[in-house]
Amino acid sequence: MTDALLLVSTCTPKSLGDWANLLAVIRDFLSLSLFSLGGGNTLLSEYHHLSVSEYCWISSDQFADLYALAEAAPGPSSMLVGLLGMGAAWREGPGWALLSAVVAEIAILLPSTLLMVIAALSWNRFRDSPWRIAFERGLGPITLGILFAVGLKILHTADHGVPAYLVSIVVCLLTLRTKISPLWFMAIAGLLGGFGLINR
Amino acid sequence: MIEPQGSVAAMASPEAEALAPPPDHRQLFFGMMQVALSAFGGGLSAWSQRIIVEERRWMDNTSFLTGLTVARLFPGPNQINMAVYIGARFQGLSGALAALAGMLLVPFSLLMLVGLAYFSFRSLPLVDRLLAGVVTAAAGLALSMGFKILHQYQRDPVALLLALATFVAMAVFHIRLIPVVLVAGPLAMAWYWPRGAAGPGVDR
Repeated sequence: MTDALLLVSTCTPKSLGDWANLLAVIRDFLSLSLFSLGGGNTLLSEYHHLSVSEYCWISSDQFADLYALAEAAPGPSSMLVGLLGMGAAWREGPGWALLSAVVAEIAILLPSTLLMVIAALSWNRFRDSPWRIAFERGLGPITLGILFAVGLKILHTADHGVPAYLVSIVVCLLTLRTKISPLWFMAIAGLLGGFGLINR
Repeated sequence: MIEPQGSVAAMASPEAEALAPPPDHRQLFFGMMQVALSAFGGGLSAWSQRIIVEERRWMDNTSFLTGLTVARLFPGPNQINMAVYIGARFQGLSGALAALAGMLLVPFSLLMLVGLAYFSFRSLPLVDRLLAGVVTAAAGLALSMGFKILHQYQRDPVALLLALATFVAMAVFHIRLIPVVLVAGPLAMAWYWPRGAAGPGVDR
């Protein structure tokens, strides 16, 4: 908690009511879109960097909250960006927050969507191309390394203290070994938190 | 041929059943909305296969699995890419946008409600305590992502070395994602460039 407060005090949140900032946000998410390898989770530490360290929209604890909410909510992954966009403009009021959420989500999806349209329409032409094969084989291991780094980053962001790390490691093992729905893990961990067994 | 990987099993249809006429924008929108709503408990890929291939018969299973392969290969969230692929195949760019909107409308609206509730009530002590627990489980899920695909590479030392170098660059030296990918990506692509049967990493 003290760490988060110190961090916040060292950087001033930038207002999205300012057009220059809004454009900067759009530009940042647009340029990240095509680096969303392996289904999008590779971008999590970049999201943290932008929203916590660079623009100071939210604290590190809030980032962990939003990540958990986006994971728990139904629907495709990657809607975390909508929540970050909302956090970015929350102090300007709910109207701005919603607008900013929608703009951020569109920005992160637009480039990858356009590329996907091109891919869908021309797949037969490059399915056997050496570029396609090298891309698929080469980017796989890099994605693997990024996912480990991102997992560790989220772990350090979310967990404070031994009980928290213990729960995370148990959940990680159960996720790998069983087919239990992640919602159960979140519900049980939430209860543990509610009873004051996990603090931050 | 393209080899599908992952949870959606290849289901060869015994008799070639007639496909439905190509969906228009409206059908794409509502079809993907049906997929999104059906998958509220999870398992989006499986639901999308059931609805697109079996119920609505927009494409056969082979085309669907090809789409899944393309969706996983290209940047972007897999399920969203799959919706874009389906929309684009039938109605081009505007069809892709219709399918995307159908897939996102309900889940995104719900998430916005969740977000409004969060930012309004997050300072309540009980909410904060609950979330302090929930985030530890979410962190466990995040930690499992790498382990989930690790086994694909365990017989390829170069791949493990690349992964380790990428991990160290990001986790130890705090290098940002874009420079890491721009440097490591071309190197890895050069190593894995197909060179015929004798090249490295050909049969992974």
